[in-house]
Amino acid sequence: MVHQIDYSCQVIRRQQPNRSYVILTLESPEIAAMAMPGQFVDVSSDQFLRRPFGIMSVDREQGTFAIGIRVMGQGTLYLSRLQPGDKVSILGPLGHGFCLEGYDRIITVGGGTGVFPLFFVQQFCREQNIEGIAVCGYRSAEESILTEEFTQTACAVSFASDAGDMTVAGHAGIALQAVIDDLIETNSDISRTLICACGPKLMMKTAARLAKQAGISCQVSLEERMACGVGICLVCVCKTKKDDGTVEHSRCCVDGPVFDAEVVIW
Amino acid sequence: MVDMTVQIGSLKLNNPVIAASGTFGFEREIEQYMDLSKLGGISSKGLTIKPRSGNDAPRVAECPQGMLNSVGLQNPGIEYFIENELPHMLTYGCAVIANIAGHEFEEYGEMAKLLEDTAVDAIELNLSCPNVSGGCMAFGSDAYMIRSVVSSVKKVSSKPLWVKLTPNVTSISEMAIAAEEAGADAVSLINTLLGLVIDIDSRRPIMKNNTGGLSGPAVRPVAVRMVNEVYNAVSIPVIGMGGIMTGRDAAEMMIAGASAVQVGTANLVKPTACIDIIRELESWTANTGAAGVSEITGTIVKW
Repeated sequence: MVHQIDYSCQVIRRQQPNRSYVILTLESPEIAAMAMPGQFVDVSSDQFLRRPFGIMSVDREQGTFAIGIRVMGQGTLYLSRLQPGDKVSILGPLGHGFCLEGYDRIITVGGGTGVFPLFFVQQFCREQNIEGIAVCGYRSAEESILTEEFTQTACAVSFASDAGDMTVAGHAGIALQAVIDDLIETNSDISRTLICACGPKLMMKTAARLAKQAGISCQVSLEERMACGVGICLVCVCKTKKDDGTVEHSRCCVDGPVFDAEVVIW
Repeated sequence: MVDMTVQIGSLKLNNPVIAASGTFGFEREIEQYMDLSKLGGISSKGLTIKPRSGNDAPRVAECPQGMLNSVGLQNPGIEYFIENELPHMLTYGCAVIANIAGHEFEEYGEMAKLLEDTAVDAIELNLSCPNVSGGCMAFGSDAYMIRSVVSSVKKVSSKPLWVKLTPNVTSISEMAIAAEEAGADAVSLINTLLGLVIDIDSRRPIMKNNTGGLSGPAVRPVAVRMVNEVYNAVSIPVIGMGGIMTGRDAAEMMIAGASAVQVGTANLVKPTACIDIIRELESWTANTGAAGVSEITGTIVKW
């Protein structure tokens, strides 16, 4: 059977936690009911193509979900200026999110806007009584985002900044290494631990390498310039390894955005 | 009730709206969101003799009222298509057109032969992809090559043959006439316009392939003009495409001379665009008092 994909969503709340980001809470009982961590929505703006955003959180009771916007160009500028009551056309929820089943500890590693979809992972962990550890990397404390929310939701947090003005100086990879070292030093069982990474490519590559060294599973959420968001135009491809070792172009929008780090060719 | 059926040579379509090649994947995704039996037809993703992984990303750039793509004919190869995708596509109940793209001249005939024993309703020769080196657009911008490719395919194929033309030529009518003279049953136009978008900070093109094909409403006036030119130059049916987003846009293309239209880029903005376009075109036609949508074709009243 065919199902609806295009929803007209009303903006319920607009928050601007700092000058770099705007968080929009949007109403769609359907998207809120279906969305899983790591999935995204494709939002219309005043520009020609839609803009993809990882879903930051859902409130299934209220029938709402939230996205985090960093103004990068005209389309995101338009969206950042939407006000409560405004309506916007949204496709969603789209893509394959994180596969979280079977894990008892989940470490999220995010950088910049990558922290948004990872907050949904932490929200899921809390609901499912999974031990969630949040590692977030920012440019500076001033540009940090969702730190309070992660602190309230995750079992443990570690915040890093390039500017050196947060708990860990440097990038998220350094903070992740410390978290892994701590698990190993305390002889924690890491057989059912998963690392979920989303952020700059270099950060995800580092997370994948550290995970592999420690023998921990790792899933990464990739991003590429996108058009349709539903798998029909083949523009948002990334290189992945098939089982037989050959390289293919996978679509970030429907084959991903989340991939097992093992298959990604960086 | 308006009669929405149209006739393209020997092929009858439920209605004049066909999903354009390369903007509908292999339909496995889109079938979740819409009833594909409602379409006039589907033109498959461009098929090649061997599987192709396509160009490196980024493959897309946005521009005012449109976009550029440089996918580079990523597809699993025609044999895989015939075995795994086509049987499923044929269950939708709308016309299925196989869009084929050759790198070498002979490949068009080889692929047409492979399609001969299938139930595909028509073959669309892609002589117009701007995103691959050699073949394709190089063939489509040379009237002599168009004649050669079309007549070689005609020799081995009994399927209705559509020739998809590139707008990146001085005279598209000349190319359409060449296709008609060589035995084409219809021409479809336009493929994308070759373009370039540069990030001024890095001075790098946005797309890894540097250039790409421009599509969307930005190209529509060019497409409408070319469809009208070709309509006046040939007597075979013209299938018009280029930036159709609404039923009114489809009507405009038909008034210019198109017997049917293809919808491409609109699908990438709204996956169910074709369904809305069919409904809008039907109601627009009804309001004109016409008994059938085919009556609109070529009704332009020039100054």
